[in-house]
Amino acid sequence: MAGRSKKKGTSGAAKNYITRTRAVKKLQISLPDFRRLCIFKGIYPREPRNKKKVSKGSTAATTFYYTKDIQYLLHEPLLAKFREHKAVAKKIGRALGRGESGDAARLEKNLMPKVKLDHIIKERYPTFVDALRDLDDALSMLFLFANLPSSEHIPAKTIALCQRLTREFEHYVITSHALRKSFLSIKGIYYQATIQGQDILWLVPYRFVQRTGGDIDFRIMGTFVEFYTTLLGFVNYRLYTSVGLVYPPKFNAKSDEQGGELAAFKLEGKGVNGTEAANGDDEDAEINPEAQAIADRIAAEGDVEEEVADAIVAAAEGDDEEEATEGIDKFEPTAQDGDVLPQPQASRAEAGSLFAPFTFYLSRETPRASLEFILRAFGCKRVGWDSILGDGAFTTDESDPSITHQIIDRPSLANGAAAPVSNDSENGAPKAQWPRSMMPGRTYVQPQWVWDSINQGKLLRPDLYGPGAELPPHLSPWVKPKKGEYDPNLPLAAQQPEGEAEAFEDEADEETFEAKDDDEDMDAIVDRAGSVEVGEGMDVDGDSDDDSDASSDSDAPAANDDDDDDDESDAESDISESEAARLQHQAELEAEATGKTLKKVAPTKKEQNAAIRKKADKARKAEEEERERQKMMLSNKKRKLLKRIEYGANKRDTESEGLRRKRAKLEKAKAAAEAI
Amino acid sequence: MSVNPRKRKAVAKEAPPPPESESENELGDGLLEGILSHSDDDSEGSEEEDEEDEEEGDDTDASSIIEGLSDEDEDEDEDEHDEHDIREQMRNLKTSDAPPKRKPGQQTHDMDLDAADSSELDAADDGDDEHLKPNYTVHTDANGNTRYMYQEIDPVYESDDSDAEQTNTIGNIDLKYYDEYPHIGYDINGKKIMRPAKGEALDALLDSIDIPKGWTGLTDPTTGKPLNLTEEELSVLKKVTRNEVIEEGYDPYPDMIAYFSGVDQEIMPLSAAPEPKRRFIPSKHEAKRVMKIVKAIREGRIAPYKPPEDDEEQDQFTFDVWADEKPRDANSMHIAAPKLPPPGYEASYHPPPEYLPDQAEQDAWLEQDEEDREREFLPKNYEALRKVPGYETFVKERFERSLDLYLAPRVRRNRLNIDPESLLPKLPDPEDLKPFPTTCAAIFRGQEGRVRSVSVDPLGIFVASGGDDGYVRIWEILTGRQVWNARLSSEEAVDAVSWRPVKEASILAAAAGEHVYLIIPFALLSPDVEQHSRDILDAGWGYASSKSQTTPAPEDAPKTPPGVWSRPERKLENKGVLIQIEVRSAIKTLSWHRRGDYFTTVSPRGQSSSVAIHTISKHLTQLPFRRLKGIAQTAQFHPSKAIFFVATRNTIRSYDLAKQELVKILQPGAKWISSIDVHPGGDNLLVGTYDKRLLWHDLDLSTKPYKTLRFHSAAIRAVAYHKGGYPLFADASDDGSLQIFHGKVVGDLMENATIVPLKVLRGHKVKQRLGVMGVEWHPREPWCVSAGADGTVRLWN
Repeated sequence: MAGRSKKKGTSGAAKNYITRTRAVKKLQISLPDFRRLCIFKGIYPREPRNKKKVSKGSTAATTFYYTKDIQYLLHEPLLAKFREHKAVAKKIGRALGRGESGDAARLEKNLMPKVKLDHIIKERYPTFVDALRDLDDALSMLFLFANLPSSEHIPAKTIALCQRLTREFEHYVITSHALRKSFLSIKGIYYQATIQGQDILWLVPYRFVQRTGGDIDFRIMGTFVEFYTTLLGFVNYRLYTSVGLVYPPKFNAKSDEQGGELAAFKLEGKGVNGTEAANGDDEDAEINPEAQAIADRIAAEGDVEEEVADAIVAAAEGDDEEEATEGIDKFEPTAQDGDVLPQPQASRAEAGSLFAPFTFYLSRETPRASLEFILRAFGCKRVGWDSILGDGAFTTDESDPSITHQIIDRPSLANGAAAPVSNDSENGAPKAQWPRSMMPGRTYVQPQWVWDSINQGKLLRPDLYGPGAELPPHLSPWVKPKKGEYDPNLPLAAQQPEGEAEAFEDEADEETFEAKDDDEDMDAIVDRAGSVEVGEGMDVDGDSDDDSDASSDSDAPAANDDDDDDDESDAESDISESEAARLQHQAELEAEATGKTLKKVAPTKKEQNAAIRKKADKARKAEEEERERQKMMLSNKKRKLLKRIEYGANKRDTESEGLRRKRAKLEKAKAAAEAI
Repeated sequence: MSVNPRKRKAVAKEAPPPPESESENELGDGLLEGILSHSDDDSEGSEEEDEEDEEEGDDTDASSIIEGLSDEDEDEDEDEHDEHDIREQMRNLKTSDAPPKRKPGQQTHDMDLDAADSSELDAADDGDDEHLKPNYTVHTDANGNTRYMYQEIDPVYESDDSDAEQTNTIGNIDLKYYDEYPHIGYDINGKKIMRPAKGEALDALLDSIDIPKGWTGLTDPTTGKPLNLTEEELSVLKKVTRNEVIEEGYDPYPDMIAYFSGVDQEIMPLSAAPEPKRRFIPSKHEAKRVMKIVKAIREGRIAPYKPPEDDEEQDQFTFDVWADEKPRDANSMHIAAPKLPPPGYEASYHPPPEYLPDQAEQDAWLEQDEEDREREFLPKNYEALRKVPGYETFVKERFERSLDLYLAPRVRRNRLNIDPESLLPKLPDPEDLKPFPTTCAAIFRGQEGRVRSVSVDPLGIFVASGGDDGYVRIWEILTGRQVWNARLSSEEAVDAVSWRPVKEASILAAAAGEHVYLIIPFALLSPDVEQHSRDILDAGWGYASSKSQTTPAPEDAPKTPPGVWSRPERKLENKGVLIQIEVRSAIKTLSWHRRGDYFTTVSPRGQSSSVAIHTISKHLTQLPFRRLKGIAQTAQFHPSKAIFFVATRNTIRSYDLAKQELVKILQPGAKWISSIDVHPGGDNLLVGTYDKRLLWHDLDLSTKPYKTLRFHSAAIRAVAYHKGGYPLFADASDDGSLQIFHGKVVGDLMENATIVPLKVLRGHKVKQRLGVMGVEWHPREPWCVSAGADGTVRLWN
């Protein structure tokens, strides 16, 4: 008996996928609710392997979800909340329609369901490490929102929450010295922290008003922020408790109002008494600011915080104690051919002690928040700044003698700055104000010094970053130069393939050739005018000019021929070489016969270049031929694969070649400028 | 009162020495200022001077009048003040009339005026006869000598250098020595520089001018008389200009008088009753009520109002979500969102200069559509961190990222992390593979039309070729000389030529149309070789006749035999063409058995008789296949075993001749096979196809090709292995090229054959889309011979 014939679209791919419309219908919610649900639950569309099979023959562009994913959404408790929300919204609408605004307010206050996302956090990130791995986007988004002004789409409460959570996270990074790298890009400041072995990279915008116009849907962003705040809150809780701190840390609203930012939070160890840890500056803020500053300094220097920090570090590294004492040995390869294993580097303690012995002072034009965060994350305990930058400075007195480094971002005054100091000296203590005078024994650096130092893990020479100095380029710490790619750290000569430097030089010459030629012509004309009496001189001049022109002309097509991969040109060049040798030999013979000594014609720079280039070209061509031959032996599949790989490689190659060319040009221009 | 701030400033600034900013060459000014400060009796004068200075500096003559009007000091009393006002007005008028260039160091106004007047008068007086008179008068002096008294030279306007800078030449001498004199020094011509007008002098002058009371300088339009204003009118005007209430003594901010609440204010109180007691003691009733509330609060019946707190946020993160974490099972379908790549060098705020785009790149980037851009920003350089602006599309980029996170389908893609070098096979160096043919050594010309087939004789001395002109030609291989030819057919082309592969005898087989000719070119041979060859061919005559005698089956009679062996016509026989075999249809290929006793012909058109095997010793032609599947293209003997390969259009079948059975069917996957060749080892087969492919079959491996080579752009016509010990093979194609490969077969079964492309030999011209028609190797040397459609045979070495 033949089995019943199967109907199309009842199994397989057709059943595995479901379109968005069908999914929304199945869940019986509105599209915005569906979107919210998808964002919360992390459900994303899928690309079926065979679209036609899935959509039963239709090829229209549709979004597909996994049927299983949607089925799993059916059990979501949030769905019930959404429905409740809908019901209440209806009631409120009715009340408003009747003009009973009090009723509406009461309904909204009492009946509106509160959405809690903690179960989703647990569901999406079964382990803490999973959550850390997904923290990049969350942090970037929350840092952005912490810097946004409140508007009708973004309530102030959300922004305050974002600020609180991000600062708490920063505090954790500071106390655990987890920050590894940071980078000043044109988009903002990138930070990378390593927490429990996970590299977390986030981007913080510069503090300017963000442009929020255009087609930006803040409802979507708001949904993400809602989820991310929950995630970061729980992550913070876990991180704080893992190092023995109380979560949430004490928040000092007054300090925050005065722009304290990080200083508005007071961390407390679990064992340490809370009141002891508190600085007490929140009790009465009406005391005079000088006394306040002194008190602050004493409090900051006091051992309390350090104790906390030490306790934290001890707690964090409790089990690594033995390892720490023994240290990690550096494995140096003894032979060339061994594989190089990645070795752990820059331990936490090392990172935490980079700026430890110093006292920093931030001038008022520097970005205080980022500098404070980085300096403190790298062990600096005493960061002072101008009082207009906000509360919480170690000192606001620029002339404090304990300051070892001052970060400035203003150029030094053009004329001598000595004169006005005498005016100020009547106050008794000389007031050292940066652009007018420098404190002896203090290092003045630009902010980039801090970034470059932490990225390289050592203190760099401050004179390169001095006030008004032309800064060295700021490089991304995440680019690992691959073989054959351009690396700005290395000298140009070290990374150029053979013959390229000469080619570049020739190119540059050709570019300048026209101008030079004109000059020569002018000279020639002048010469001619002067050498009419001499008679012969004119001809000689003209000849030499013509020669140079002719040689340049003949060079150009020759170069073109070389570029074409022709066997003939190759042969030709061989022939010409042999011809040249023959001529040379002939000349030598003639010289011998006449008894004269043959003048060795020293090859000009250009000829040398051409020779080297030709050689390099030849070698390259041979290599290419060999490669072609090898390619002939590949199977079709492999050849296509190779083509794809080579496409990427070629693109990279041309890119890095362009960079090298630009650099060669720049270096040449620089050398020329120096020569003048 | 709105006092002009500029003026106040000027007064305040009087005390310090003159600012340094004034340059040295304006010495006159400096001196003047010094004098002024020295003789500073009343502040007013100098004040005015200052103001004048300022006005001259600023050139604001329009506003100066208004300033003058509103200029007032509170400490001055009214009368003086008004007078002063008017004076100042006048002066302002004057100064604004005067040319702005005039420096205070020059002569005073009145002097200037005088000078101008006198010169004007002079000009009027002696205007025309001026130049006739001598400009001097003769006098006698005290001693009686004549003395020329020159007249003052009247400087006409052009010669007037009064606007030239006047500098005091007294040098570094204190000016106080000139205090008694009307001048303050001497100019470059030795003339005295008069002391400039000071405040006092001006005031004196102004005092001397009688101004009527209330003078305005305006004309009353109604009366036509000068409009004079009274003091009251002036003050009204003044108040109007200041937006004040005109009424005299009006106080806009009087103290508030509480007429009805204050006790003292009421002169006649409404009631004479004394203040009741209740005004002084607190209300009992209120106390009661308050106590009630207090009691309620104490008892907690009334709770103080607490603003509704949203404490759920505070309470939200009070537990560890990951208290009992269990890792997710690994095989879930979830794909984590890809992380954004970290920023590169070009994203730096201060990148190395080579990362900055030049103008062309910048333009190209700007011109591109936003979606096509490879990078969403242009690298830019800022020399200091403070100059870095905010990133414009920050929020937008974040938004797009969140869209990607929930809208973009995620697909797991295998990253191609393959070293391209590992893909490329390790090929032996072509130098190690030498020798192989690389160049065209000789071209044998003479054939008309296409050359269809070539063959090299087993000794490697001669090359035979056959082509469209019906000739079989024999060439000497080293010299390229044509040594022998014979026209086998006038209308049919010679499709195949092949030497018998045995060295002792020299027999050439050629096929033209339906005939096969066996040729002994005895003109070229030594007598014993010729004799040996003749013996081989002649041995079958007897057999054939006897056979035909023994089996004259009557039913076979009408059926024509598969091949008819006969002697060709006399002319050909004289040339050396000794046997002619006629088969049923046109023969396309011909190949010998290794021992030379058999050869096979294939005529694709003849269905059942397409493949024929001819036995020389018996002069016998057999048709091995009664019915062949597909159209036979070519056939070959196995070099060592009794196996016979027949290629149809798209399969190759191998038959065991001894057992009379099919051994294997190879499926090269080609659409139309053109030629095959068997490796001398016998385990490998080369297949050339019309669909441009060259296939290497390893017979031990599989029925599918071991390698498929597609390097030709046109159909492959012929393939050939080198039979003399070199691991070489070649193919000939319609694109006019031959390709030489290294194909090494190792006896070890575990190792596959290595195939290395060596050389593409170009030289044959493509005619009517036909290039090279045949290729054959030299039996000993690494040379090959090819037959071209252009009518040439070429030797390559």
